[in-house]
Amino acid sequence: MDAMPSSSAAAIAATPDSASVLAAARSAARRIAPLWPLDSFVAVNPYFGLADHRFADAAASLGRTAGARSTMPRAFYAAALDDGRMTLADLSAALASAPPPSARLFDAGKLAAFAVSTEGEPTAPLDTLADIAGRRTRRDWAGHVVGRISSFAARHFDGGQASWRNPSAPYGLYAAWKAEAAIDRTSEIAGITGFRAIVGALPDDRDAMLVESVERLALTPGQLPSYFERLLRSVGGWAAFARGRDWPGELAGKQGETVVDLLAIRLAHELALYGFLSKDALLRGAFAAARRTYAAPVDPLSEAADCLLQSAYEHAWQRRFLPALLQPASLPASARPAAQAVFCIDVRSEVFRRALETVAPDVETLGFAGFFGVAIDHVGAGGTATDALYPVLLQPRFMVCDAVSPDAAATKRLGHDAGRVMRGFRGAAVSSFAFVEAAGLGYLGKLAADSLQLGRRSDAAVASGRPELDPGEQEGRLTGIPPADRLASAAAILRGMGLTENLARVVLLVGHGATTRNNPHAAGLSCGACGGHSGDANARVAAAILNDPAVRAGLVGMGITIPADTLFVAALHDTTTDLVSILDAETLPRSRAHDIALLKAQLAEAGRAARIERAPRLGIESDPSAEARVMARARDWSEVRPEWGLAGCAAFIAAPRALTRGLDLGGRAFLHSYDWRKDDGFRTLELILTAPLVVASWINLQYYASTVDNRVFGSGNKVLHNVIGGFGVVEGAGGDLRVGLPMQSISDGRKLVHEPLRLTAVIAAPVDAIDRVLAAHDHVRALVENGWIHLLALDGRTMRRRTAAGWRAVEAG
Amino acid sequence: MPSFQAFIPFLAPLVMIAAAAFAGRHPGDPRRVQRFAEASGVAAVVVALATLLELLLGGRQTSPLIGVAGLGFAARIDALSVSMLLLVSVVGLVVLRFSRNYLAGDPGQARFSGGLTLTLGAVMTLVIAGNLAQLLLAFIATSLALHRLLVFYPDRPKAVMAARKKFLVARLADLALAASLAILWLRFGTADIAAIAEAARAAPAGAADSALIAAALLLALAAMLKSAQFPSHGWLPEIVETPTPVSALLHAGIINAGGFLILRFADVMLMAPPALHALALVGGFTALFASAVMLTQPAVKVQLAWSTIAQMGFMLFQCGIGAFAIALLHIIAHSLYKAHAFLSSGTAVDAVRAASRAEAGAPATSWRVVLAGTAAVVLAALAWMLLPPATDPASLTLAGIFGLGLALLALPAAEGRGISGSLAVALGTALAASLAYALLHAAANRLFAAELPVASLQSGAAAAILMLAFASFALLALLQLTAHRWIATPLGRAARIHLANGLYIDAFADRLMARPLTSSQS
Repeated sequence: MDAMPSSSAAAIAATPDSASVLAAARSAARRIAPLWPLDSFVAVNPYFGLADHRFADAAASLGRTAGARSTMPRAFYAAALDDGRMTLADLSAALASAPPPSARLFDAGKLAAFAVSTEGEPTAPLDTLADIAGRRTRRDWAGHVVGRISSFAARHFDGGQASWRNPSAPYGLYAAWKAEAAIDRTSEIAGITGFRAIVGALPDDRDAMLVESVERLALTPGQLPSYFERLLRSVGGWAAFARGRDWPGELAGKQGETVVDLLAIRLAHELALYGFLSKDALLRGAFAAARRTYAAPVDPLSEAADCLLQSAYEHAWQRRFLPALLQPASLPASARPAAQAVFCIDVRSEVFRRALETVAPDVETLGFAGFFGVAIDHVGAGGTATDALYPVLLQPRFMVCDAVSPDAAATKRLGHDAGRVMRGFRGAAVSSFAFVEAAGLGYLGKLAADSLQLGRRSDAAVASGRPELDPGEQEGRLTGIPPADRLASAAAILRGMGLTENLARVVLLVGHGATTRNNPHAAGLSCGACGGHSGDANARVAAAILNDPAVRAGLVGMGITIPADTLFVAALHDTTTDLVSILDAETLPRSRAHDIALLKAQLAEAGRAARIERAPRLGIESDPSAEARVMARARDWSEVRPEWGLAGCAAFIAAPRALTRGLDLGGRAFLHSYDWRKDDGFRTLELILTAPLVVASWINLQYYASTVDNRVFGSGNKVLHNVIGGFGVVEGAGGDLRVGLPMQSISDGRKLVHEPLRLTAVIAAPVDAIDRVLAAHDHVRALVENGWIHLLALDGRTMRRRTAAGWRAVEAG
Repeated sequence: MPSFQAFIPFLAPLVMIAAAAFAGRHPGDPRRVQRFAEASGVAAVVVALATLLELLLGGRQTSPLIGVAGLGFAARIDALSVSMLLLVSVVGLVVLRFSRNYLAGDPGQARFSGGLTLTLGAVMTLVIAGNLAQLLLAFIATSLALHRLLVFYPDRPKAVMAARKKFLVARLADLALAASLAILWLRFGTADIAAIAEAARAAPAGAADSALIAAALLLALAAMLKSAQFPSHGWLPEIVETPTPVSALLHAGIINAGGFLILRFADVMLMAPPALHALALVGGFTALFASAVMLTQPAVKVQLAWSTIAQMGFMLFQCGIGAFAIALLHIIAHSLYKAHAFLSSGTAVDAVRAASRAEAGAPATSWRVVLAGTAAVVLAALAWMLLPPATDPASLTLAGIFGLGLALLALPAAEGRGISGSLAVALGTALAASLAYALLHAAANRLFAAELPVASLQSGAAAAILMLAFASFALLALLQLTAHRWIATPLGRAARIHLANGLYIDAFADRLMARPLTSSQS
């Protein structure tokens, strides 16, 4: 209590002005990672927005604002120490590369003791007013507020689940909410007397509302950042979704408003509770105390020891993983390979590439981002809607439509009409009764077909047809890719892949997708570089560009000669079944039929090997039926683990394949083909470090966070998932929108299948070249220096590690 | 000499209960438990088919009683029990098979499987009941067994809260049913359900006394509570807190127990028109109310739950106007549809995406709606000239409501990019649906004629209810057809918000069940 006078004096001295309130709101909004709708569900770094902080500081801050864990429970590390996976030497190594303050506090022995203690285990987040009110009145007001906001937001953002469309959807989030809250009586019935009047009296202008609320809650400028962030994280799923809504605008340089709108809505609930309980002196006192905690600085050491344990765990893993990369590499074959197959850098490609190289030693495989440098909006046959087939960090360059005959388009449209009529019949009041009586019995057949996995067997999720590259127009947008752009794209693709010489007769461009059924998170298994879609359209476009004679003629002038007999062929790797299908095989020259047939046989054989390798991890015993059972998962409507996706991802290697060829990396490494000797001006290196590496780290941190705290960063239990608005899931009947990965994607129920490791990136390039890229790109340097990824440089036989303190040699083994 | 075939139906619940017992003994071996459960599921379907065979060969029959003083267990074999046993065993098998991979790895998988088989065993015991005691016990056991599944994740507060609500409603239903059955037992002097039905059917008109009417009203009350009728429906949308297969089983195999009760005692209900009127009014209102709420729901499982409330309302409305055979058809068709809808609810992402892709180019205009709606109805009428349905007032009312449903096809038809394609699809759908409807109704009336009387309620009250119902459904259909005119008005917006909240019925229930506020008064 003795602190009261001084702090209230400070409050009077520093009444926040409107600019600082808005600035605090925007900065809180920027700390929220975006979330994409489920139909284009791509991995997002859940710590996005915190990457400019050290990992341990971000962990401490997330503990306060979200009640989140950022490392595993201590028992995890204690077990690793116990069974010898992690040793005291690893603890010492972690301490040696830790920033000074935490390194000074501990030694390896102390850390080992800490691993078996419960000292300072994470506690609850900072109190909101709803939390305090809940304790005072013994009602779950925090849950009530989340429920109300979730109910409103689900209806507002609904993509079409409810057939009665929401007429206020076009309005801004805050305006729409305010209009609705003035009508909705739920909160008053629940006991917040006068809720509608309180909301009605709020300013219509959101910024004015923020300022007024801050004044009425007597918040000082120093308290705002943490308080605002805490409020947003109390509806963290919706905040993330709102940030995803703002994302395209932000990429285009516009200020996002949706997250700030959501903050205003959440703040309004605090205000309503405050008004309703205004006579409660104890509550006011408790809130005054809570306000002071918001201004208190984050204790940077609160999570330091746990983070050190995690670093040591990663060090132990690297100790086992890295030496193989230092073995003498097999000399790159200089003879012309029989074929080259370019796969996505996705860790699942590693298994297949290894299998293919075993089956066909004269085939060379390469790794490249699975959209093949072709950032397109794609329009499927006969449709009008576009799919965004590019990484979310980029913006589309072109719109490409599938070439379709008028007949096919008409059939497709009739299918759409039929679908709409049936949905109307089934979904409208009154007609739904008629529907059940006329058609309900037919569902016996559907139940049988789905249970017995009858029906269409899909080898691969081929969603596209042949792309039309020649210019056209659809709904006011130009489509196709102009010749000059084709040439530039072709050069960029070939240089990026390092495929500018010694091209084989067949170059396979293998996109990937995943076949699964009845799976809300299906897009998460597709190609992230294609915006959570199957990569077939991108592969087709890239192949078409590279086969274009005019493009090839132009490339000669740029110093790239594609042999006349080289043919680029698009293919699709179905990661669930490991079937690779060659696309448009019927349009390929007859003369190449033999090459293609051989390649098909090799791909099929490699697929078998890959399935057999994956089977044990899926819990399938190795018996003759194992392979078929791996494949069956793609068609099983009750399967919650059709495949393991990118679970296990731990490393990113940008190097010539010769360095890793023959190594069993267990499907845990992103492999990007890269040869710095061919990289003129290190432009490809810059591209790799700023795009594929960042995307790999996003994926890796999504898996990491979903594993260490699934409650905050994951989407919980799939068997409870309830798809909301067609864009997201909640667990059960309602509550906050869930982000990240379901438990079933990281665990088999008994043990974790994803081992939480921050990404180990090994770049085969000179350190000064890497440093130049880091110096030019602060966000990448922040990822490295703040401990979000481990960056190692491999230059010949020496490996060095980059930390905030610079480069240090890594002793192998 | 009692033939052993009459006991065949008991094998179905017995194999289920054996599977549940096996699960209880081997909680650490989910694979074997699951195999046992699925084998039992197959066995139950076989038993149901054998029972059907026995019905065809041996006719309707009740097994000898296992019990004392006329109370105990006896299996009833007739069209109603065989239909329900087939339905429950098929849905049960699908759900059990689905759970194998769906729950794989869950530490509680064996317990889950045990809960499913126990619940299925109880439901099967219920639907084959030939004796009042068995009926009551199985009715109570079903809800208790289900309760274990509803709190399968006991650390989820919302699941526990929803299960508690359901528990309270279910106990009220138990009380109502127990009282009703006690009266029937005393009034008819037997606990044999077939005997009671026979006596009721043979009773002269006007034989109903106040005790019997009370029994019928209590039975209607039990049915309405069990089938989540207004205003006791609140727990059903909340109960999607449970794993998906439980929802599928609940919505396809358990929620319709209310309707089953009414059908089981259809002859008794016919003696007590007030009870039927109550069913028709409450069921009809629930159908309208819940289907309107359904239109506003953005979460797929919650939307399905509101759809079930509405469908159960419609089914009880059919019972209330005496269309018992049609109500049974509705139960079966709805169960199959809803089991599939829940199990495949993971496709909602694709469905919404497909819907938005098929978005019509042009908004509906009035003349297009009128044109398309008229065409659909005319076509339906033509279909019925080919296959004339029954012509009693109740059947005509139902046919009229069906026609209203077809008229609503005008909306998607009228929104077409070019009207011709979608109009053709809509008219084709209307024609096929009408033919299917007429055929199925005729078949249901014929197949279930022995158990389910085709009644015509000839009173003024009954006629008024039919007219009220048709007018209400017509009004709702008209509102939907004209939605583009009022949806964005202030009244339309407010209506949407109130309906989205289920008219706050549940908010009041939550308030009642929550702790009283302690602070603001202090």
